[in-house]
Amino acid sequence: MRDYWLSKLFFDLQQPTLAAEFRANPESVMSRYKLDHRVKRAIAEHDAPFLAERTNAYLLRYYFFAVGMKDDEFVRRLNG
Amino acid sequence: MASLVGAFAASHGPLIVREWDNVPPEQQKRMGDAFRELGRRIAAARVDVLIAVSPDHWSNFFLDNVPSICIGVGEVNDGPPEPWMKAFPHREMPGHAGLGMHIVETALEQGFEPSFSHRLKMDHGVCIPLWRMELAKLPRVVPIFLNSIETPMPTLKRCYQWGALLRKAIESYKEPLRVAILGTGGLSHSIGEKTMGAIHEDFDHETIRRFGGSPDDLIAFLGEGLPTRGNGSEEVRNWLVAHGAAGGRGFELVDYLPAPKVIVGCGFASWRIN
Repeated sequence: MRDYWLSKLFFDLQQPTLAAEFRANPESVMSRYKLDHRVKRAIAEHDAPFLAERTNAYLLRYYFFAVGMKDDEFVRRLNG
Repeated sequence: MASLVGAFAASHGPLIVREWDNVPPEQQKRMGDAFRELGRRIAAARVDVLIAVSPDHWSNFFLDNVPSICIGVGEVNDGPPEPWMKAFPHREMPGHAGLGMHIVETALEQGFEPSFSHRLKMDHGVCIPLWRMELAKLPRVVPIFLNSIETPMPTLKRCYQWGALLRKAIESYKEPLRVAILGTGGLSHSIGEKTMGAIHEDFDHETIRRFGGSPDDLIAFLGEGLPTRGNGSEEVRNWLVAHGAAGGRGFELVDYLPAPKVIVGCGFASWRIN
């Protein structure tokens, strides 16, 4: 399954300026995307398994890289 | 007429740049030597145009439009957009519009339906190999993006057929160009999955061994094995394009090493072209 707007957010966060804005104020950036409240909560909680079911694996990794999470922690959460 | 003077394959991966300083020295040397050897062979073949076959890592395309294959027909393409590729020395790279469009037209005549683009961003998939090859003079680059990161993907058989099609297009192009193909990506690795970091060394060795055998057997082996060897392993499609261009013969391994610091089973190969 692909959540279009979640994927679009992760795709757009490849832009460094938007990623910086997201890190400073995620709610403001997320408000521009049609995200379900459960998806917003999963983003806030770094719920990698929930997000992984809804987007491409590369985009998921880009997202956690953009927010500064180390790969080891990302994989730990994915397997959580 | 143009001629195919070489076919090559090399792994790529962001950590080859981002984590390079943390790669053990002996692995740095082997990877560096392998990339440079491919660069030496490209230089020795006096390549005018390099057709780089790579996945698009969400640099050009999004879910709005995911082409199975997209051929760059622009006079110029852009260098890598990734911020961590800023040190790559080329922000723009000359393409070859005439050859690119001839490939598109030949494909359409032969029952293939590629998309095409007059300007593409060549992300790390293309640019890491080009960078690490340390080419004194960069050939013109015709990028071909073959989807191997979002399902459904082109079949393995079709990728092999694309190689033969590319050769037909090259050899029917009127300008006397020396053209080579570079397939980038693979071998086994896993990106953004629970298995991220896993390298299937045995599978990679068997893949390499089968490049020396029957193309049908190779394709059947990959079709069965790829789904459980990490999503990055799907990029071996680009090696199949090079293999198809070489007529399924002449494979030569330059080096292979599992490199945990860059989380890729790193393979480097070339084909003898007859």
